[in-house]
Amino acid sequence: MTVLSLFSVPFVALVLSLWSCSVLASSDYHEHLLLQPLPQSSLLASFNFRSNTSQQSFDQQHFRHLPRALGQILQHAHTKELHLRFTTGRWDAESWGARPWNGSKEGGTGAELWAWIDAPGDEEAFAKWITLTQSLSGLFCASLNFVDSTRTTRPVVSFEPTGDHSAADQLHLLHGTLPGEVVCTENLTPFLKLLPCKGKAGISSLFDGHKLFDAAWQSMSVDIQPVCGADGECVVQIEQSVDMVLDIDRSKRSRSNPIPRPVPNEQLICDTSKPYNSDDTCYPLETSDKAWSLTEVFGRSLNGVCPLADSDGTSDPSVCLRVPHERGVFISEGAEEIKKEDGFTRCFKLASSAPFDLSIPQQPVNTQVPLDEPVLHAERTIVGHGQERGGMRIIFGNPSNTSDVDFIYFESLPWFLRPYIHTLHATITGLDGVPREVPASEIVKETYYRPAIDRERGTQLELSLSVPAASTVTLTYDFEKAILRYTEYPPDANRGFNVAPAVIRILDTAHHSPIYIRSTSLLLQLPTPDFSMPYNVIILTSTVIALAFGTIFNILVRRVVSLDEAAVLGSQSVKGRLLGKVVAIRDRIRGKSSKVE
Amino acid sequence: MALKSAIRNLRNNPYLLFVRLPNLLSLLCIVVGVVWLLLLPLNEYSRRTYISENALLPGQVHAYFTGSEQNIFRGYKKELEGLLNDGQARGGQKDEAEVTAAVSDKLQSILQAAGLKVATQKYEYTSAGITHQGENTYAIIHAPRGDATEAIVLVAPWMTADDKLNLNGVTLALTLARYFKRWSLWSKDIIFLITPDSKSGTQAWIDAYHDMHPASVQSLPLKSGALQGALVIEYPLEHRFQTLHIVYDGVNGQLPNLDLFNTAVAIAGGQMGIGANLQEMWGHDDSYKHRLQTMFRGMTKQGLGYATGAHSSFMPYHIDAITLQTKGEGWEDEMALGRTIESLCRSLNNLLEHLHQSFFFYLLMQSNRFVSIGTYLPSAMLIAGNFTLMAIALWMRTGYYPETKPAEPKDGKTDVAEPKDMKVSVEAKTINIAERQLALPLSLVAGLHLLGLVPLWVFNNIFHQYFTTTTYIFVVVGIILPLILAAILSHGLGLSKPIVPQQYHLIKSFSLLLLGLSLSTLATLNFSLSFMIGLLCAPLSFVTRVQSSAPVRLATSSLGLVLLNLLSPPTVLLGVCGYMGVSVEEVLTQAAFGWDVWGLESGVVALDMAHNYKGCKE
Repeated sequence: MTVLSLFSVPFVALVLSLWSCSVLASSDYHEHLLLQPLPQSSLLASFNFRSNTSQQSFDQQHFRHLPRALGQILQHAHTKELHLRFTTGRWDAESWGARPWNGSKEGGTGAELWAWIDAPGDEEAFAKWITLTQSLSGLFCASLNFVDSTRTTRPVVSFEPTGDHSAADQLHLLHGTLPGEVVCTENLTPFLKLLPCKGKAGISSLFDGHKLFDAAWQSMSVDIQPVCGADGECVVQIEQSVDMVLDIDRSKRSRSNPIPRPVPNEQLICDTSKPYNSDDTCYPLETSDKAWSLTEVFGRSLNGVCPLADSDGTSDPSVCLRVPHERGVFISEGAEEIKKEDGFTRCFKLASSAPFDLSIPQQPVNTQVPLDEPVLHAERTIVGHGQERGGMRIIFGNPSNTSDVDFIYFESLPWFLRPYIHTLHATITGLDGVPREVPASEIVKETYYRPAIDRERGTQLELSLSVPAASTVTLTYDFEKAILRYTEYPPDANRGFNVAPAVIRILDTAHHSPIYIRSTSLLLQLPTPDFSMPYNVIILTSTVIALAFGTIFNILVRRVVSLDEAAVLGSQSVKGRLLGKVVAIRDRIRGKSSKVE
Repeated sequence: MALKSAIRNLRNNPYLLFVRLPNLLSLLCIVVGVVWLLLLPLNEYSRRTYISENALLPGQVHAYFTGSEQNIFRGYKKELEGLLNDGQARGGQKDEAEVTAAVSDKLQSILQAAGLKVATQKYEYTSAGITHQGENTYAIIHAPRGDATEAIVLVAPWMTADDKLNLNGVTLALTLARYFKRWSLWSKDIIFLITPDSKSGTQAWIDAYHDMHPASVQSLPLKSGALQGALVIEYPLEHRFQTLHIVYDGVNGQLPNLDLFNTAVAIAGGQMGIGANLQEMWGHDDSYKHRLQTMFRGMTKQGLGYATGAHSSFMPYHIDAITLQTKGEGWEDEMALGRTIESLCRSLNNLLEHLHQSFFFYLLMQSNRFVSIGTYLPSAMLIAGNFTLMAIALWMRTGYYPETKPAEPKDGKTDVAEPKDMKVSVEAKTINIAERQLALPLSLVAGLHLLGLVPLWVFNNIFHQYFTTTTYIFVVVGIILPLILAAILSHGLGLSKPIVPQQYHLIKSFSLLLLGLSLSTLATLNFSLSFMIGLLCAPLSFVTRVQSSAPVRLATSSLGLVLLNLLSPPTVLLGVCGYMGVSVEEVLTQAAFGWDVWGLESGVVALDMAHNYKGCKE
């Protein structure tokens, strides 16, 4: 019987897998790369990998494109929807315009994670959340296990589920950030392993840790959500994306000679119209449109297409480039160029196995690819100085001349930063440039505030704001810096403490998906004791000496005698008698003088 | 037992206990304090400097700022020179504002072309009737992978601290900005700040950076993170230079972290072979005399607490900053200075934490020798202690010793308010218990100290033309007021009852107590100021009523009065100005500017001191 059952296990598995082949029709995989040169010799590369698995095969743990490691974690932690972000650097909205994907696929600096967890109550949800963070921490080699109760918030209006969830689920949204997390190659490798082609073929073969993490801004994201079609058929969708802005000059430097040494004299590009221009004097001219190619910028070429990706012609070709059509682009043999009608986009159909390269020569062009204006500018800084108090200043600028911007401002502050919400003040600067103090209630429509509990949870602040057209709103509030316990300081206490970036969700009806903006993270200087060796030595020796002195002094001075012995001892000696008299006289004088008063 | 009998002897001789002993101890304190300071330059008491923060790694990187960067330097310099000369050549046709605007535009366009974010800030300060205004230009290199959490500042003022045109310095900053932009290793933002002068520009900028600026200063449109360090570049020479001069004194005697200074010395001397000097000691031969001289120069600057360069303004915000000045005629060119700055920036860039490892309180006596606070503090503390000691002695004397001792009973001392039935104790016959009359002494001392606000207010609010006259007025007032007060107090003049000697002692006791208290507190913050004031006030401990025949008394007391007046702050001010050959007006304009702009506090201390004098002259 046992033998039979042993045999039967693989058999059942085989049968099951054969049966589920029919279901796999709804399993597919797409990948897409968009390249767009940006001003100041930057290049935006936007990678997107998307695959679907039917809900049924997901529930039966039959994984094909969806990575098993991730799928099992989700099932174990009862997570219905997951969003994970790793971001470094800064998006320069002033030069580069609006963010890719409307900011919905990026996080604040460091790591950010939010998930909808199915659990009957808050406590169960939190337990599942801890399970989730611990598991993801292992999977992505990130410190996500440090997302504890002080770093976890439950945003009320800042995030909405993007997937289609059944009404039966009791979903809890939990959100955690790690602003100090340093994103590096160790996070990229597990990320690549989740892809079906694992960085060997297709657009993922362009990933090189050296180039990716040398980018001026980069963001890796993983989103998993259930998506239901009109026919009620549900799939679990995983979408991974990497967006990065490379500095073309920097990326083109070869790895063997990465140092930007001064160029030889003859290679300097000088403004020859200057009267003083000579062999040893040069006023430099900066060229804007630089020549580049995929191999130069990414350090490797694109290895054909991923065989697992859908290439039936119905979907978009996998590589697209946004430059004006007048610009010449050289592509390697076998690939096919398709120009789109908008005048700026062209896509490339890749030969399935041959490596693909694309190069853009230096060429003066008149037209520029139009960049979307960001809807809102936001900047958050810490003001004031000193170890005890500080202030937060948040500036929102609305560049539009016609329409107001409504948005949710979400801030999760560590518990040791104690904001005084009553000091929340708003200043509005209109076109005339004169700042006017207005009551905060005029700008802030709704407030959701959850105060911190020391060492248990941080402050959560969600404000619903509206900035009028063509004006700038400055919000300020004061805060107090808590003093930590001696052991609570990290080893690099004098660096300061990271404060997580604020999340701004713009409620724009014109867009279907909301626009997200994140502020930069902040460094908060707390009152820090001197942890140096002399300080410790002083504390320790003082304590030891105080203890030793007290005890020894006590032993030396104190004599243990009985009560009657003590009386005799006191009256016997000459000293004792004399002292007694002196005391008596002094008492009399004191007593009298006090009567005189 | 021997000790006990000695103490009993002391108790039996209150004159020794309350008059002689405190005088002796006070004198001893002062002498030991001064000798202590003089010992500091010796090898046994000072230490060699060392880099405490391991992350700095000074001079461990190769500096690449050479070659064709020099062509660009020359190009930028010609460009700026052209604009400046253009204004000069046309003479009156183009006014200064126009040239400034053209130069500012050029700076912005150069920095923008190099790929930096550029912004400007206008500011205006008014002090002693003089308006200081200008426009700062600054640009930020965003750390390639950074998140605007930390930043380093490079400052190039158009006018150096000595009011010389710093064309090379500004050009170097521009060239470095273009050069630094290419590097991807920066972990902190780098801010290039170009200010019109060395005094107000940086102050306006740093105040606005922390949102602590007055209304006359614009706020900054562009910001970065927490500032970790600042370097000021000064190269006002038209020829090659010989050595670097590192200026490190901040406002109110605050000093940058010693690690920053050490890093600069290590890089300039060790890596670049340029050599570094401090406190304008050019031919330092490491002898005792030169060390002492360096230390005294440092102490003078610290004590006066004025801004010695553009870097000084950063100190109150706990941002460590130094100025690198080029001096002498030699072989080093602007590229060598550029490499030094590059290497320094690389070191600061390595920092993981804010500079905190090394000392903030130190006296330097050579570029590689210093004493730390633990070693030098007793010196000022002893001097401050002498006042406290004297004050305590006087307090005890007024309580227990109604001066019926020794030998000659003085007139005016018999009417001591003392109940007759208060009998002498068995042991010490001469010790009486006296009741202290505190109201008059307390109000007098408090009133006189409050009176110190008058000169403070006057000097900071009148126009600079009247400074000299006002100083003389205050000298005269300083001579007359104590005499009038003394007359009123001792003879009443119908205004009040003449006061009793006990109250003289109490007045003196309170003044000295306050002085000792403030000086010992000050010693931990600004050692040099405390030491200087302590020395100037030292005679106050020993001022006493002379007890001898009338003519001798008159002679000694008037001699004492002259001495006290000579040491009173306005006279010292006049004396020092005369000795140094600078006008009083200039000094006071600086002081008023310091008060208005930098928040300088040493003036307050000096004025307060004046009133201690008055209190003690009685």
